[in-house]
Amino acid sequence: MKNDERIENIETINDIENTVQNAETTVESTENDSSTSLLDKNPVEEPIIEIRHLGKNFGDHEVLKDIDFDVYKGDVTCIIGSSGSGKSTLLRCINLFETPTAGEIYYHGEDITKTKSAPKYREKVTMVFQSFNLFNNMSVLSNCTIGPRKVLKMKKTEANEIALKYLELVGMSAYVNAKPKQLSGGQKQRVAIARALAMSPEVILFDEPTSALDPEMVGEVLEVMKDLAESGLTMLVVTHEMAFARDVANKVVFMDGGVIVEQGSPDEIFTSPKEDRTKAFLSRMLQEQSRNSQNA
Amino acid sequence: MKRTVKIISLILVLSVVVGCVFALSACNKNDNEHKEKLVVGLECAYIPFNFTQMTDANGAVKISNAEGYANGYDILIAKRIADALGKELVITKLDWDSLVPGVKAGTLDLIIAGMSPTAERRESIDFSDSYYESNLVIVVRQDGRYARATSLADFAGANLVAQQGTFHDAALEAQAATYGITRGTPMATFPDMTVALNSKAIDGYVAEEPGAIADCAANSQLTYVHLKNNENGFKASAEDTSLAIGMRYGYDQKDAINNVLSGISADERLSLMESAVQYSTDNSSSETQSTFFTRIGGIFQKYYAWILKGVGYTILVAIVGTVVGLFIGLLIGMYRTLDKPKNKFLAVLKKIGDVILSIYIEVFRGTPMMVQAMVIFWGFALLNDGNTMNVTLAGLIIVSINTGAYMAEIVRGGIISVDKGQFEGAQAIGMTHSQTMWNVILPQALRNIMPSVANEFVINIKDTSVLNVIGFTELFFYGKSIALNTYATFETYLVIAAIYFVLTFTITRILRLVEKKMDGKKDYRIMGSQNMDAESIVRENKATGENQQ
Repeated sequence: MKNDERIENIETINDIENTVQNAETTVESTENDSSTSLLDKNPVEEPIIEIRHLGKNFGDHEVLKDIDFDVYKGDVTCIIGSSGSGKSTLLRCINLFETPTAGEIYYHGEDITKTKSAPKYREKVTMVFQSFNLFNNMSVLSNCTIGPRKVLKMKKTEANEIALKYLELVGMSAYVNAKPKQLSGGQKQRVAIARALAMSPEVILFDEPTSALDPEMVGEVLEVMKDLAESGLTMLVVTHEMAFARDVANKVVFMDGGVIVEQGSPDEIFTSPKEDRTKAFLSRMLQEQSRNSQNA
Repeated sequence: MKRTVKIISLILVLSVVVGCVFALSACNKNDNEHKEKLVVGLECAYIPFNFTQMTDANGAVKISNAEGYANGYDILIAKRIADALGKELVITKLDWDSLVPGVKAGTLDLIIAGMSPTAERRESIDFSDSYYESNLVIVVRQDGRYARATSLADFAGANLVAQQGTFHDAALEAQAATYGITRGTPMATFPDMTVALNSKAIDGYVAEEPGAIADCAANSQLTYVHLKNNENGFKASAEDTSLAIGMRYGYDQKDAINNVLSGISADERLSLMESAVQYSTDNSSSETQSTFFTRIGGIFQKYYAWILKGVGYTILVAIVGTVVGLFIGLLIGMYRTLDKPKNKFLAVLKKIGDVILSIYIEVFRGTPMMVQAMVIFWGFALLNDGNTMNVTLAGLIIVSINTGAYMAEIVRGGIISVDKGQFEGAQAIGMTHSQTMWNVILPQALRNIMPSVANEFVINIKDTSVLNVIGFTELFFYGKSIALNTYATFETYLVIAAIYFVLTFTITRILRLVEKKMDGKKDYRIMGSQNMDAESIVRENKATGENQQ
């Protein structure tokens, strides 16, 4: 089972390698395809989240500069880039864990950087963390029911039903009575996803959801995320999993040094990157991932 | 976790109810006033002038604020005065150091406690005419080398002590060097000094003659050397050796009291003192042939009611103090970890609140609880025209706010120790600060700080013994009373120590179990993944619950 997955992974990596090689030679030919795919989207549709000229400084250190992009309903956006490029900070700004020092974030047209009620907004835009952050004092079930019960004021039975539905979806319904410390990393992350889903959010932000996992557990979490993407959930994912970004996302944002270097469809980014920095990053990632898969 | 929260809130509610009942019962007591009261303060620990009895034998008067009955020369005089003034005699048992503040605050009408009208005391309160004149004598062992002494000069080389803060000690200090006497560190009570004398730690102690008679009657190994003041004995002024009744300046009954006193002849005083000595020897179980074990058995047999009451109050004050203190600590801990408000005005308010809380914590952690008890109890009396708080209520309040100051820091540590990710996890699904605190952070912080809370509980059981200074009737207070009555100081405190140990040991074990319970079960059941719905979960939970029963 695991071996099969690994073989699959290796195959996808080879695919990307090929596509990048192709990209360097056939930039022109693919450009037209991608422009048509973008036109598929209804142009009159309002974006859920619009980010305009967003900036963030920690003291003198400028982490984000003039970030601009939109999230539409059903979008699966992957933010990629090397460590320190500011992608996690961007996600934390969108969830208001960090206060932006410049620019605006509009949620359905309202600038939420000036909002009084961050909790009301976070109900709708929830987050899944690299380090899971499951509530250690609660069972798996309570982890998923506490939000619906306390925040959405649901009845206990109703909350239980919803929680079970999503635990079933992530394949964790058998563990309802377990405590987080009794679970493996992959299981924890799947429960964390169910917890976020139980709030019936409009958008889920994923902050490197597989980076803290042992390699053999990455697959199970990505599988769940892929299912969610296919079900039409709006997702914003900061990730190092290039295969996931290429296969599942409909939009990829490449960040470097606190700015968005390039954004577009996976094909545009992976097959025909325009910027040198994007090319350099992708080829570096490919080398690393193939080295890892050889070691494994 | 929810069950723990329920248990804690149940304890909270219970302790509040208990507190209210005490407060109410205190109010009721104040309501039944028929006759005008004459409130007399004394120690009930200065044989034969005043002492505590278990029964009302020999005409003893019920003590208003503690267990037992008061008797002695002072009580006999107090009864005469109350009768003559047509008032109802109320006896209040107070620590020696609280007597003068009690009159100043207006809590007490009179001090009849074998007190000398020294110039120092006259600065604070007024005194009646003398109601007893006494000589200073020295109590020694019958088989000791000083038993045959006839004058102070014969005590050259002896190691003598006197009671702390009395003119006895001043007289001893003044003349010790002249006669080559070593003055030992002053001791707190006469029973302490009899124990020291019996154990040969000292060669003798200074006492007034009636006290010496009573001590010797209760301890067959002791005798006293009769000395006459200003002749072959100590130099002492009449102001010291005469005893007078203390009252506030301008007290309207002063003349009436002096009339009563002048109506008691010298012979009558002598016979009153003889009766008082007789009552005191009736009271102290002077079983001279008793062994160590019969003495301990006797303490349990005779004073079990006091011991039980003392244990009850000690546990009450420890539980209420710890629970209310923890509650205070939780509130402060939550307040201090609040985000800085964006509104400028609110931010300033928050800052002011922070400063006030810091002062509260620093002051209560930086001063001894005994001192806090004195300041709060008598400060309240001064501000309220002499109406003191109910002592039990005062004790509970003092321990609670003292514990709260420590708990605030413990809770803060507990909250800090919870992983920051737990805050973010909760906020990420839209929980507010208080929802995050109550549901996620505090349950974990509470678990983390349980060992410290248990520690505070144990400290509260032991350290509330200092509340005896305001007359809070906990275990040590009764221990002191028993020791004074029985003269078996060592045996009594050994018993008290054993009881304290049993209490702290048991409670430590119980709290260990609570900690284990909080951690929950080590294993979990894997549920069948088919047909899972809310109902079956409930059913499953019920089934496992039934199995456990």
